[in-house]
Amino acid sequence: MTAQPTQPTHDLTANSQRCLQQLMRVWFDFERRLSRVPILQRLERGQFNVDDYRNLLLHLRQQVIEGGRWISRCASSFDRDYLDVRSEVIKHARDEHQDYQMLEQDYQRVGGDLDTLHTQEANLGTDALHAFLMHRASLPNPVDLIGAMWMIEGLGQKMAASWAERIDAAVNTGTPCTQFMRYHADNDDDHMAKLYALLNRTCQSEQDIQRIVKTARVVGRLYAMQLEEVDYDDSL
Amino acid sequence: MSVYINSTGHYLPGPPIDNDNIERILGLVHNKPSRLKNRILKSNGIKTRHYAIDADHNTLESNAQLATKAANECLDAVGFRRNRLGLLSAATSQGDFVLPGFGSMVQAELGLPDVELHTSHGICSSSMMALKHAYLSVKAGEQDSALVVASELASRLFKASRYEAAGDVPDFNAEFLRWMLSDGAGALLLENAPRKTSLRIDWIQGFSHADAFPVCMTVGHPRESQNGKSWQDYPTYAEAEADGALLIRQDVRLLEHVVKLGVDGFLRVMGKHQLSPSSIDHVLCHYSSDHFRGRIFDMLNAAGMMVPEERWYTNLYERGNTGCASLFIMLDEFLHTQTYDEGDTILCMVPESGRFNNVYMHLTVVTE
Repeated sequence: MTAQPTQPTHDLTANSQRCLQQLMRVWFDFERRLSRVPILQRLERGQFNVDDYRNLLLHLRQQVIEGGRWISRCASSFDRDYLDVRSEVIKHARDEHQDYQMLEQDYQRVGGDLDTLHTQEANLGTDALHAFLMHRASLPNPVDLIGAMWMIEGLGQKMAASWAERIDAAVNTGTPCTQFMRYHADNDDDHMAKLYALLNRTCQSEQDIQRIVKTARVVGRLYAMQLEEVDYDDSL
Repeated sequence: MSVYINSTGHYLPGPPIDNDNIERILGLVHNKPSRLKNRILKSNGIKTRHYAIDADHNTLESNAQLATKAANECLDAVGFRRNRLGLLSAATSQGDFVLPGFGSMVQAELGLPDVELHTSHGICSSSMMALKHAYLSVKAGEQDSALVVASELASRLFKASRYEAAGDVPDFNAEFLRWMLSDGAGALLLENAPRKTSLRIDWIQGFSHADAFPVCMTVGHPRESQNGKSWQDYPTYAEAEADGALLIRQDVRLLEHVVKLGVDGFLRVMGKHQLSPSSIDHVLCHYSSDHFRGRIFDMLNAAGMMVPEERWYTNLYERGNTGCASLFIMLDEFLHTQTYDEGDTILCMVPESGRFNNVYMHLTVVTE
């Protein structure tokens, strides 16, 4: 149940303010879920090593590459009534669609082999997350993907810097090997401001709020699953 | 059945100690002034606090005695007869003895006959857990009255000699709380009918997140993480102390979680009880540091749920952070120094960093 807000943020409309409040709660819950994920527990508790980091990047790469696709698909699903939203999402897709290159460089700098990286299968969580996002992105005017952006941008804005700091402390290579995470930590603030504007534009009704929040929740569950899978051996 | 807070009391030992005199009492570690002190004090904003130890590190009053003075003030304010009391519910982070429970020591000191006894264990939120037990006991009709006492004597942990015994290694996380915590006690009397002016307890709700986060504040954990090694796992207590396992320590990197979880719980209780910021007349929040006040406000503003700043009351800066006693001391001073009217609502929040337990309480001012 949502409480009634009285003071809006960033000139948010009443609907988007209520939506934002629920998204914050979804985010807090997501952070707790992430804290229970084994590889992140090791990072938090100082038990993380260079093998963990290589493995993490190996598993993140698929989602990072696929990220460019669902955002582009999302853009193309907005019709003429949402031209402004479409432009905004296209810009966003362009910003992100090559950031996997930073990830690849980080991977090499911690002694990872590019062939291994390129032949790595997406893990079960990544598959599920990608499939869900592509499905939603293929529907007409997928405003609910604002919820997905809130979660994924949030990882950059709220988590990436502290992860990078802990990784640098745990994995002492001498050369910068957390560029990918640091890039997101430095740039996602700006993305969040744009996201607030998108929220105002697209969150028009209670139904929109519910759909945006639900998509955010699904993304949180599947993202956590993707990170849990880092520690499982997928081969049967 | 409704439950009312019918009286409050608090006790702070000795004179107020300003920032320049902290090390005169607690001592200089290895005879050197702290390099961290000013930075931490600037961030927490505390100007004065109280200690139950003197500069020679004699304990002038025990923790149970501090609790007793607060309890006596609370009971005497309404002329409550001791032999009518049904339940004593006590809280502290560290009693004078490891065993028995703190409540037993306070009961003996107060000379209360035949009470039902409860002791809650924890850090800042232990007082709220003790209060919830008392509240439910009266609400269920098991007791007509209950005294809840929360007391801390943290200064004994902060003597220079304790740090010296743990070696020469600088330990920011162990020193941090030396400039945060101090001594004091607070007490509340609960009854099943209001007196002249009372606070009705509408609800008390806690959320604990220990399953999701590592420990953030500890006593008993060695300096370096050693797979859960405890102070009790050393052959001798001297070895535990040398390894820094008896120091009180805060993992400051994790403190940001307290703010987020505190706000999360706030949004949850506001939603559950269909409250809006305009329906809250007063907020009493136990934040440990002025730094966190700003962070809490930022997040509540983002959620569109900020209770106007002038409705937030605190006495942190003058009375210090007295751990589990803070909220009770704050409530007592609020009632005696601030203006409020019948029907006013008070939201109390205690976000605890120990392992992230947050407790909220909603009160309404009523008259007989």
